[in-house]
Amino acid sequence: MKRTLIMGALMLGSALAPAFAASGAVKIVLPEEADLLEPCMATRSNIGRIIMQNVSETLTELDVREGKGLMPRLAESWEQKEDGSWRFNLRKGVKFSDGTDFNAKDVKYSFDRVMSDKNACESRRYFGGMNIKIDVVDDTTVDFTVDPVQPILPLLLSLLTIVPEETPMEFVREPVGTGPYKLTDWTPGQQIVLSARDDYWGEKPEVTEATYLFRADPAVRAAMVQTGEADLSPSISQTEATNPATDFSYLDSETVYLRIDHNIEPLNDVRIRRALNLAIDREAFLGTLVPDSAVLATAIVPPPTLGWNPDVKVFPYDPEQAKKLIEEAKADGVKVDTPITIIARTANFPNVTEIMEAIQAQLQEVGLKVELKFVEVAEHEVYYSKPFREGRGPQLVAAMHDNSKGDPSFSMFFKYDSEGTQSGFSDPKVDDLIARASAAVGDERAKLWSEVIAYVHDEVVADVLLFHMVGFSRVSERLDFKPTMATNSMLQLSEIKIK
Amino acid sequence: MLRFIRQRALASLISLIGLIVMVFFLSRMTGDPAALFLPVEASAEMKEQFRELHGLNDPILVQFARYVGDVVTGDLGESLRKARPALDVVLEAFTWTLWLAVITMTLVTGAAIVVGSLGAFRSGGFFDRLSSMVSLIGASVPDFWLAIVAIVIFSINFAILPTSGTGSVVHWILPIAVLFVRPFGIIVQVVRGSMVSALSSAYVKTARAKGVKSGPIIFIHALRNAMLPVITVVGDQAASLLNGAVVVETIFGFPGVGKLMIDSILQRDFNVVLAAILVTAIAIFLMNVLIDLAYALLDPRIRH
Repeated sequence: MKRTLIMGALMLGSALAPAFAASGAVKIVLPEEADLLEPCMATRSNIGRIIMQNVSETLTELDVREGKGLMPRLAESWEQKEDGSWRFNLRKGVKFSDGTDFNAKDVKYSFDRVMSDKNACESRRYFGGMNIKIDVVDDTTVDFTVDPVQPILPLLLSLLTIVPEETPMEFVREPVGTGPYKLTDWTPGQQIVLSARDDYWGEKPEVTEATYLFRADPAVRAAMVQTGEADLSPSISQTEATNPATDFSYLDSETVYLRIDHNIEPLNDVRIRRALNLAIDREAFLGTLVPDSAVLATAIVPPPTLGWNPDVKVFPYDPEQAKKLIEEAKADGVKVDTPITIIARTANFPNVTEIMEAIQAQLQEVGLKVELKFVEVAEHEVYYSKPFREGRGPQLVAAMHDNSKGDPSFSMFFKYDSEGTQSGFSDPKVDDLIARASAAVGDERAKLWSEVIAYVHDEVVADVLLFHMVGFSRVSERLDFKPTMATNSMLQLSEIKIK
Repeated sequence: MLRFIRQRALASLISLIGLIVMVFFLSRMTGDPAALFLPVEASAEMKEQFRELHGLNDPILVQFARYVGDVVTGDLGESLRKARPALDVVLEAFTWTLWLAVITMTLVTGAAIVVGSLGAFRSGGFFDRLSSMVSLIGASVPDFWLAIVAIVIFSINFAILPTSGTGSVVHWILPIAVLFVRPFGIIVQVVRGSMVSALSSAYVKTARAKGVKSGPIIFIHALRNAMLPVITVVGDQAASLLNGAVVVETIFGFPGVGKLMIDSILQRDFNVVLAAILVTAIAIFLMNVLIDLAYALLDPRIRH
């Protein structure tokens, strides 16, 4: 009897619980307005933070909050067949916000639209260098045949937003998706409003409506949460982040480094590249110019990424050793006196000017001639990406690279392969390792990526890796939300709880 | 008068065409919008295709001819970034800027004339020295600092005004107050200087000798003659506000044309840059015509 009572009370409690769960509207203040709300551009952060998984969903989803890896979203399950192709079983009973049903044809159309030459969808870049054939088996089954076989296709599909078949090929400004929210207002320059859908297939989120506001100044964003004009600002500046009750720092998946151009003397000499690394006192930046919680980088990808190699050690600060290496190179006739130019981008990240000036001074300390040049974003791109200018001098390009996607393949080819657009060198062994790692699965894949990371860092000394950066968020005390590594690229409203 | 306006319009048109030509070619020399629209990891083919899609692969003269052809028919093209007509984007932003400029300049001019005139009337007196000091500070305070301090004081400490945004009338108070300060400081100085010389002229002495009261002497006799240089400076200040108050727009989240222009230049959104230049240039031309009319109204020598 007693037990029945307790059971009854428990059941009653759990039945009532949802009714007590708070729900309501939130205001989110972002640094930059979305210029478009185009689903196939949702991999760009200013767009993705608003619509990714809120309006537009994907077949799969990478969980970075609890480290559960790749999760089902619009696909319920997937499997790789004998011939290497992939079969995805889609969720049933899903409706787009325009009322049409979601089915396998929409998946095929979404992919075709991304690959179309009638638009400039940015998510196309994740499917470069492969031939993909999509077969609609039935309404809820779709096969992807990829040549060459693509072991991480399910992960890549976490970047393909699904639109209804009726969407025009050209960019749209009013996205239609299967997500828990739909766009209800967009007043350019002022606000974007998403409202929860009643006919969403999944769990009903606590946030019923989200209003997005845009303020370029971090102090104003922080002030808005403080005064209650907004509930959440995913990025404020370090100097504003002073209130432990509302301000949180998080590793934000951005890695700052100096890309070395190995093609030009004296940077073609590994001793000089090693000297560059030994001459920089990375520790001294932490807690001064770079936030205390930033992590010294030994790879272009942040620690939670597959194959991140704990055995690779940060170069020690050893100016004496650096000087010795430069002397040795000089004795062998390497032109170590050639001025080396650091190219940095204005306002690339907080304190970039001071950080680069300090690095310049530290490199000069060990006897290198170093110049520093600041350029704005368009010109920076000219230095950073191929084709490199003919007749250039030796250059170090300071850049920041973002990979929150859990797999190094989103970075390694671009940054280190001979064909990579931002690669400053060419090494057949690296090319081979990257090719093999990209094609491998499971432990083998992790092992090969670890090998690439170690080889590039220790043997090639490809670049000067500096810091994995941290971001700061301010979250109103009425919300329960912790930023994660993905917060830079998306902000799932369903992860925001109201206290 | 009409002939005068026609001449001015013609001269402005020529400089406007020169400006558009220059901006068209300069902006295309400074970087590739494809590289900015697409992430650095995008392949060469994707960038190539983006350029193809937006006609950026054609020889620059062909692009220019096409642009001129479109502009003549009233089509200023699409924004590369926003997938909507560049003119819509610009006019939307310009409306905000225009209101900010009109309200601010009306308040500034009125206040500056009163304060400057009173200062000049008792030149060297307490009020004069106080107003000189205040206006000098106003003219030299950096607006980004002032804006942030204003937010800290009025929005955070006293919590009486919103930090930023555009929702209601109260949202306009801080931006206008911040925009007010610098032109006020400058114009007060000009009014004062101009009034001091007007008040020491023979006709003022005559009026005084005839027993005219101080009020009418300042605001009727002297002011009208002192207004010419003031109008010139008011015009200058208004023009700089019409170009957009970038700092204030950025901090207060006002979607004006100044921030739009800077962002579009950085993103190489050519059509928006050109449309913004066109719209603000026409606005400034119209304002200059108004100023010329005001001159003519005040000074019969110009009228005839």
